[in-house]
Amino acid sequence: MPCPVPVPGGLSADWRYVFENACYLGDGLAVTLALTAASLVVGFAAGLPAGVAEVYGRQSDSAPVRWVGRAVRNAGVVLRGTPIVVIIMLAYFSFGISPAFLAATAALGFRSAAYQTQIFRGAIESVGAGQMEAARSVGMSKYQSIRHVVLPQALRRSVPGFQNEVTIVLKDTSIAFAIGLAELLTKSYDLFQSVGHTTAIFELILVVSAAYFVLTFAANRSLEALNEAVSVPGGERG
Amino acid sequence: MSSESPSDPPLLRVEDLYKRYGDEEVLNGVSFDMDAQDVQVLVGPSGSGKSTLLRCVNRLTEFEGGRIALDGTPTDEMDENDLRRQVGMVFQDFNLFAHLTAKRNVMLGLRRVRGHSKEEAEARALEELEQVGLGDQADSYPAELSGGQQQRVGIARALAMDPKLMLFDEPTSALDPELIGEVLGVMRDLADQGMTMLCVTHEMGFARQVATDIMFLEGGHLVEHGPPEQLFENPRHERTAQFLDRLTSLHGGDHG
Ligand SMILES: Nc1ncnc2c1ncn2[C@@H]1O[C@H](COP(=O)(O)OP(=O)(O)OP(=O)(O)O)[C@@H](O)[C@H]1O
Ligand SMILES: [Mg+2]
Repeated sequence: MPCPVPVPGGLSADWRYVFENACYLGDGLAVTLALTAASLVVGFAAGLPAGVAEVYGRQSDSAPVRWVGRAVRNAGVVLRGTPIVVIIMLAYFSFGISPAFLAATAALGFRSAAYQTQIFRGAIESVGAGQMEAARSVGMSKYQSIRHVVLPQALRRSVPGFQNEVTIVLKDTSIAFAIGLAELLTKSYDLFQSVGHTTAIFELILVVSAAYFVLTFAANRSLEALNEAVSVPGGERG
Repeated sequence: MSSESPSDPPLLRVEDLYKRYGDEEVLNGVSFDMDAQDVQVLVGPSGSGKSTLLRCVNRLTEFEGGRIALDGTPTDEMDENDLRRQVGMVFQDFNLFAHLTAKRNVMLGLRRVRGHSKEEAEARALEELEQVGLGDQADSYPAELSGGQQQRVGIARALAMDPKLMLFDEPTSALDPELIGEVLGVMRDLADQGMTMLCVTHEMGFARQVATDIMFLEGGHLVEHGPPEQLFENPRHERTAQFLDRLTSLHGGDHG
């Protein structure tokens, strides 16, 4: 495969090997990023409603809603109590989800949903009961009150917890190595396993670690900026 | 009281209201009527059930016994959101929507409950904020406002729904003394404009000057109910006299 990255002169053979395969690794990096984003989206799409269901399901007058709340809670307990390697292997080998990218997205996504549920549950519970009462007192329905009063405040408070979750999911995409998905770690593994290049293992792992570090750092900074951007002037009380 | 004709139903009728929390009987057969434009002040010791009574009126709390009717319609036959649209509530700790500016606090109910367009809601919100003297603070967030300003936004938010009745639950108790007057002033204006108001407050100056009636609640019983002159000058019960004396020495100041 032609690779446009120029190889600087005066490098050791192992470093030259890394540079020659920069684009091969770059493809892995792209998969890592795509997997991170897809898993976080799945985690958010399932975790936010699940967080709402955990908080409000418990207090509901309707038996089916309470039942959903309980089911969500139990699913979360199971997902949080199972090692991620086990979940990803179950998804790929036992449930036969394919391609591997989809299996990895399902595994990382639902595991993230279980953790994001807790982030959102905590944030919703931290919004004072007076906010809901004030919303109901002007005649808004429970749904409207959650949607327009509680969630906008809870989501703002979720950003620091979500920031943590982003870095965890990003790093845990390397678990997809276990099912051979061609993400960053798998690609580097393939490189130092090829005949004649096993001595490049140190250089390759160093580059891969640096890539994860830079991504994590950038994600953290972006989310801190987001936190700043959505914060309410004067802070929040109530 | 100022009922027009005997056949008119009172604006609010509370009849034999019972409410318990677990084993604790919080309201024990409370009954009273309010006519349109009445300002009733509800006083009583801590834990006597004042907040609970207000919350039964707009059904934030359900009750076990008795009936409440608004304009002749039993509230349990009304849609609870429709009932609450018609009964404004002002809270001790304001409970402004913390993520919204003053203007948007007032607009939210107009948009979501009354179905106003954004432009209509905005115009109405600014009008209400003017009414409470906060036209220049429309774009401030709650945390940027003083307690007195926050409470006035809270009043504007409730008024924007065109309520038939306003409930006030200790609207000045969380305020620094120098901020009490501006809130009582707004309440006094409202009373002058003919709003029907049920107020839990310990501000005896306000009660004397503005209230059409004062109710003394103790242990979930309405011990005494009558015009201010009667309760202050000639109370029927010794307990009423003691309690009002104590309140007057604590909160008798003429803040309004
Ligand atoms: N949600 C609740 N659960 C259990 N008990 C409650 C609840 N709300 C109120 N109570 C109890 O009901 C009684 C009356 O409370 P309420 O708040 O109506 O009194 P209050 O007259 O408003 O008192 P305060 O002057 O302190 O505001 C109190 O003993 C209180 O502990
Ligand atoms: Mg109270």
